[in-house]
Amino acid sequence: MTIVAVQGLAKRYGATVALDFVDMEITVGVTGLLGPNGAGKSTLLRCLATALAPDAGTIRVGGLDPAVAAQRTEVRRRIGYLPQNPGLYPNFTTYDLLDYVAVLKEITDGRQRRAEVRRVLDEVELTDRAKTKVRKLSGGMRQRLGLAQALLGDPALVVLDEPTVGLDPEQRMLFRALISRLGERRTVLLSTHQTEDVGALCERVVVMSGGRVVFEGSPRELAGVAEGQVWLSEQPPVGNAAYWRNADGFYRTIGHQPAGAEAARPSIEDGYLLLLGNAVTTGATR
Amino acid sequence: MTTDWHLDPGLLEQYETGVLGPSRIMAVEAHLLACAGCRALIPADDAWLADSWSAVYDDIHAPRVGSIQRLLTRAGLPEHRFRLLTATPTLRWSWVLATAAVLMLAVAAARVGADSSVPIAQAFLVLAPILPVIAVSGAYGPPADPMHEITGTTPAAGPALVLWRAVSVIGVAVLMATVAAVLLPGPGWYAAAWLLPALLLCTGTLALATVLSLPVAAGILGGLWITGVLAAASDERAVASMFGPTAQLAYLVSAVLAAAVLILRRRRFDLGENR
Repeated sequence: MTIVAVQGLAKRYGATVALDFVDMEITVGVTGLLGPNGAGKSTLLRCLATALAPDAGTIRVGGLDPAVAAQRTEVRRRIGYLPQNPGLYPNFTTYDLLDYVAVLKEITDGRQRRAEVRRVLDEVELTDRAKTKVRKLSGGMRQRLGLAQALLGDPALVVLDEPTVGLDPEQRMLFRALISRLGERRTVLLSTHQTEDVGALCERVVVMSGGRVVFEGSPRELAGVAEGQVWLSEQPPVGNAAYWRNADGFYRTIGHQPAGAEAARPSIEDGYLLLLGNAVTTGATR
Repeated sequence: MTTDWHLDPGLLEQYETGVLGPSRIMAVEAHLLACAGCRALIPADDAWLADSWSAVYDDIHAPRVGSIQRLLTRAGLPEHRFRLLTATPTLRWSWVLATAAVLMLAVAAARVGADSSVPIAQAFLVLAPILPVIAVSGAYGPPADPMHEITGTTPAAGPALVLWRAVSVIGVAVLMATVAAVLLPGPGWYAAAWLLPALLLCTGTLALATVLSLPVAAGILGGLWITGVLAAASDERAVASMFGPTAQLAYLVSAVLAAAVLILRRRRFDLGENR
């Protein structure tokens, strides 16, 4: 079932094109929005979260149009949003901050609000940090608090902008487990430039580059883009193909088959790098 | 832990139904504490336990009700509305104290220089209308509010929230300036002359902020005000005319016009609107 439908979405910042007539559909489950910095991921998420008005195009969230003021409020009731820089007030305690956001989400009854704050604290495993000031939380805990505020009001659609950036491996695993649980009964749209996140979490992936959608499909299909174009060799390839030396001492090349190389099973990262083209891959992999 | 003897089922039933006397209840409970087997026979009231745990948790963690909240609640401000206002950047103690300090300095300077030919008291007239404008500029949106993107995408976002925050900071700033004005030496009209300019600057800033960002709007109008008053400062008659009856009427009319523009364009405060 389509939860979010985007058609012809365009946004410019002066001369810079952030979104170049984007079309996409989001269904229930976890969808990953993958792309390099400046691809337009955050702009798209901000438009979906009603933090930004597009220049052109239409968005429908559960059939509602956020361009219409009256429907925008209803869209906001259905969305939980974690921006890339949430800016959580450092001097608030975890509990106070969630209590404040719960009021913003129209949970005005004190008893109901306290129950809701407890519920989300429990969901992100921060119950024992309720009295801790935000500034004293670790990066991972802060991200979980950001997620908790997005979950207040039990929204059907959760929009997360780069939620795993800057987390250590343990915190990242914890965060992935949380998002995975969320995706069981909600629609989750998360942007990332980590292909590991997509492989671990997402049922669908949308790749953006230069403000456009260049791929939509499953992570397996994204890996399939590089089928027959990934090679392992003992010697580095000649020419300007994208390659790197892996932990086993073999050279992994994406593109044409180097002399003496054997075909390798493509990964999501291979497909992603191939989609973005040589301009990105040669700079990113050497 | 369990014991090698157990409570009689009939006694347990009497305990559950609450018909035992105090001494027998104490005896039964002493045994229950020591015997897991008997304890398991007493049905737990899960809902009661959950409610009790929630109440204890809330008592420990929920925000404390301070004297200001109690005062405002008695005055009719709903508790949830108070929660919204506590996050207003320019309602924090640091800002309030800084504003109070600036006003006290202006009053002190005016009192010390009351006998000099330099019109130091006029510094207060420049300053007093500006302070509410500065407060408004930091009441909502970037860069003053680091959580503006979260705030701006919630159902409560939009003009109502901006106006609630603006009115509350204006109220605090005006209250402090009024107290300072009473302490001001010089002509009696000094104490009230800044009110209508302050009203105009605040409504003007909010109206202009439907086109520009709040800090830019405040900077433009505040800058114009300071430039105007400083330009007139050398001429006592010019200063008097800036705060005279005709000028005050002009401020009032302009403030009403600005308020009309603000009402008409209020939706522009919503992040989801095209500006």
